Amino acid sequence: MSKIAAIINSLNEAKNIKNYIDAYLVPLKNLSINYINTFTIEEIKNIQKLNREVFVIINKNIHNNELTTLEKTLKEIEKLNINGIIFYDISIPSLKQKLNLKTDLVWNQEHLATNFGTVNYWYNKGAKYAYLSSELTKREIEEIKNNTKAKLFVNIFGYIPMFTSRRHLVKNYLETFNLESKHQNTIRKEDKTYPIIDKTLGTTVYSNYILNAVNVDFKDIDYLVFNSNLIEEKDFEEVLKNYKENKFPKETGFLYKETIYKVK
Amino acid sequence: MKKPELLAPAGDLERLKIALLYGADAVYIGGAFNLRANADNFKLVEIEEGVNYAHKLNKKVYVTVNIAMHNKELEKIKDYLIKLDKIGVDAIIVSDPAIIELARKTNLEIHLSTQASTLNKEAVEFWKKEGVTRIVLARECSKEDIIDIKKNANIELEVFIHGAMCASYSGRCVLSNFLTNRDSNRGGCSQICRWDFDLYDNDKHLKGEKPFTFCTKDLSMASHIPELIDMNIDSLKIEGRMRSIYYIATVVKVYRTLIDDYCHNKEKYEYNLKYEGILRRVANRDSITQFFDGNFGKDVQYYNGRMEITNQDFLGLILGYDENTKLAKLQQRNYFKKGDKVEIFGPDKEFSFTVENIYDEDKNPIEVVRHPKQIVYLKLPQKVSVNDMMKIC
Repeated sequence: MSKIAAIINSLNEAKNIKNYIDAYLVPLKNLSINYINTFTIEEIKNIQKLNREVFVIINKNIHNNELTTLEKTLKEIEKLNINGIIFYDISIPSLKQKLNLKTDLVWNQEHLATNFGTVNYWYNKGAKYAYLSSELTKREIEEIKNNTKAKLFVNIFGYIPMFTSRRHLVKNYLETFNLESKHQNTIRKEDKTYPIIDKTLGTTVYSNYILNAVNVDFKDIDYLVFNSNLIEEKDFEEVLKNYKENKFPKETGFLYKETIYKVK
Repeated sequence: MKKPELLAPAGDLERLKIALLYGADAVYIGGAFNLRANADNFKLVEIEEGVNYAHKLNKKVYVTVNIAMHNKELEKIKDYLIKLDKIGVDAIIVSDPAIIELARKTNLEIHLSTQASTLNKEAVEFWKKEGVTRIVLARECSKEDIIDIKKNANIELEVFIHGAMCASYSGRCVLSNFLTNRDSNRGGCSQICRWDFDLYDNDKHLKGEKPFTFCTKDLSMASHIPELIDMNIDSLKIEGRMRSIYYIATVVKVYRTLIDDYCHNKEKYEYNLKYEGILRRVANRDSITQFFDGNFGKDVQYYNGRMEITNQDFLGLILGYDENTKLAKLQQRNYFKKGDKVEIFGPDKEFSFTVENIYDEDKNPIEVVRHPKQIVYLKLPQKVSVNDMMKIC
C-alpha cells in the first residue's frame, strides 16, 4: 500500500493534514526552488514533532559560491535525523560521500528521472529513493518499479513545474517596459493560463492544470505525492481528507499520453 | 601558454568539413540519441567518414549522446555505444549517468554535457571519480565560478563562447512537452521559449510595447577570449548544430583568429572591434556575455520574438578554380549581379573585388545570378580554393 506524502506550504497546514498523510516533503529555505513557501531548519524541527516521516527538499541548482552554505546546511540536517534529502544537484551526493553523512538521499532531478537504468545508478550511489519525472507514462513508471529496488515517489496531485530559470523573467519584462505588478502572475497563450513565479532564486512556470491522478492505480508505488504549492490550504486539506473523491477535475497529465521527440 | 581547443558544431558532413577547414580543432556532431532529434543527424557510416576525415587532419570528433533516456532507449543505446567505440570517435558527450555506466564498459572517452548543468566544483569532482574526462560547464557559471572550479578540479573544462542560450537551466525545461507533446530532454524541443505570451497580474494584462517571452539574447564571448585562455580553459565551444556552412565558417574563423593572435603574442594583443561586426552580421539576434559577467538582468532578454533577420550576405560557395582561365566555379546561395562589391574569404584568405564577368554553366555571359544553387563561373583577381566563400561587402 502506498504512503501518502505531502509537499507543504506552512506549519499550520502541516498540522491540519497530519492525520491524512505519512510523510512531509519540506522545501528548505534558500536551497529549494519552484515553491512559494520554504522552511528554515528551526521550522523543520517543529514539523518533526508531528511524528511523520520528513524529507527535506534541496532541489536548486547549486552555484559554486553556494557550496559553503550547502555544506553547513547538510551538516545541520544530519543532526535532525530526518528520513531523507530530496536532491537535484550532484554536489549533494558528492558532499554526502566526502562528509560521510548518513542521511538517505532521494534522487529527484525533476524532468530527468526517466528510466530504471539511472534510478539504479543512483541507488548504487546511495540514493535509496527516486522521485520520478512527471513526464512519464504509467507504463514507464511500472517498468521502473519492476526493475529497481529503489523506493519511488510519484506526483499524483498539484501543479507541475515545467520551466525553471535563474533569470528574473517577470521582473526583467516589467523593468523593460516600465510596468508594475502586485499580485500573482500568469502567462496566457490561446485559451491556457500558466502560473509564473519570479522570486529571488529565479523564475518558475507551472502547468496550466492541477495534476489530479488520484484514481490511477499505483498500488505498488511507495509514495504518492500531493503538492500544495499554489493551492489554498483549506482546499488542500479537503483533498487529502478523502483524496480519491476530491472536488478538483481529474487530470492524468502524461500518464496515458506518451511524448514524441522525432517529428519526421 | 596552453592554446585551448576550438570546438565547433557540425550538423552534417559538409559542415563538419567546413568547420575543420576554417580552423576548428574539433567538432561535435549528433547521431542517434541527441538533443536535436529533428536535425539531419549523422548515420553511423557518416560518423565514420567524419572521424576519418578529422583524424587525417589530426583533429577530433565528439558525438553527442545527451538525451535523458526513457526505459525503451536503454537497450538500444548499448549497441550504439559499442558501434561508436569501434568507429573510433574521440569522445561522447552525455548527460544521463546510465549512459556513463554503459560507456565505461567501452573505450569511449566521456564528456559531461552542459545538459547536466554542472555549476560547482563538488559536482565536477563527483563526475571525475565516475570516469568523466571533461565537463561542459553550465551556461549559468560566472567568471569567478569558472576560475574557482578550474583551480580546484584537475579535469578538462569546456565553456560555451558563442551562440544561442537556453532560457532555463539546462534540463529544467519541459515547456515543449506540455505545450506541444514533444519531449525536450530527448531532442524534441520546439523552442517554446521563443513564443510570445500575454503576462497577467491577476486579471490585468501587463502589456509592454512587445509581448512577453522567455527568449534571451545570444552569447558572444569574443571580447573575453584572452581571459578564458588565461584561465586555462581546455575547450571553447561554439553552439549551433543547425547553423549554415556560412555561419560556421565565419564564426570559426573569427574565434580561430582571436585565439591564435592572443596566443601568438599576448603582450601585443589588441582586441579588434571589427570581429564583433563580423559576428554581428552573421547572427540573426543580438548577443551579450550573459552569466560570465554575472549579468542576468533585463539587458539579457530579447523581446523581438521570431522576427529574426534572414541573412542574405552569403552569395556562393567556391567549387573549383582554373588557374589558366582564372575562372572560379561557384554555387550560388543568394542573389548577386554584375557590379556588386563582394568579398572572398577562406581559411587563409580574404580579398574584395567588384563582380565583372559572370558566365553560366555553358560559359555564356550573364548579368545576374538569381537561382538557388545555380552553378556559375566568375573571373577572379586572385587564386581561390574549393570551400572558399563569397559574401557581399
